[in-house]
Amino acid sequence: MTLAPVFNLLSGLLLALGLLFWFAGTWPMLGRASYLTKLHYLGVADTLGSALMLLGLLLRFNREWPLLLLALLSLVVWNTIFGYVLAVCSQARPRS
Amino acid sequence: MAGLIVIGLRLLIWLLLSADLETANVAIGLAVALALPLPRRHRQLPVSALGRSLWASLKAIPLAYREALALLIRRPGREVEELQPVEYRPGSPVAALVFLDVFRITITPLTIALGMDGPGRSYRVHRLESHHPLPQEPGR
Repeated sequence: MTLAPVFNLLSGLLLALGLLFWFAGTWPMLGRASYLTKLHYLGVADTLGSALMLLGLLLRFNREWPLLLLALLSLVVWNTIFGYVLAVCSQARPRS
Repeated sequence: MAGLIVIGLRLLIWLLLSADLETANVAIGLAVALALPLPRRHRQLPVSALGRSLWASLKAIPLAYREALALLIRRPGREVEELQPVEYRPGSPVAALVFLDVFRITITPLTIALGMDGPGRSYRVHRLESHHPLPQEPGR
């Protein structure tokens, strides 16, 4: 018995959950919340949602695992630090 | 020792990028990882501090998903700005540890790091409190 159908199902679930995080995290950005609140939601959408999608892809295309794993690491680190940079740049006070 | 961890991470990125475990490729990756300069403060950094920081960053990932669900299910409450103390302070901040701390704070959707306070003793953190209702602002 092969595990491929289980992996495919799990992958589909992760992709769907990632898409849900994308939309649920993007929707509040159209509202009137403060800039930093929107950045909190951006973290949900572009870091956590995209990471779930890449995990889903990792299960589906497991022959490409080195590149997908590298993409996952880069995405999580880059998006998180980009959110931090945007937050710091929004502050009026001078940094020391 | 902390330098070894940094070199190991460099080699890991090289191997993932090239997806090739042949001896020649590993040798090239190792040579590049060793040839890139290592900041002097990395060499003084105790491995326990780096390990603790790495572990805390990894632990923040499941926490981030819990917080994301909390944020999506409940309406966010008030925004607060607070100070979170820097754990390891050998004098002046070490770049690798600051990077990991900023990552750990910012990856969780309810908190974002806003930089350090002046003397580098703590991080300024913007937090969304999801459990409180939004305060009514009179006059607006």
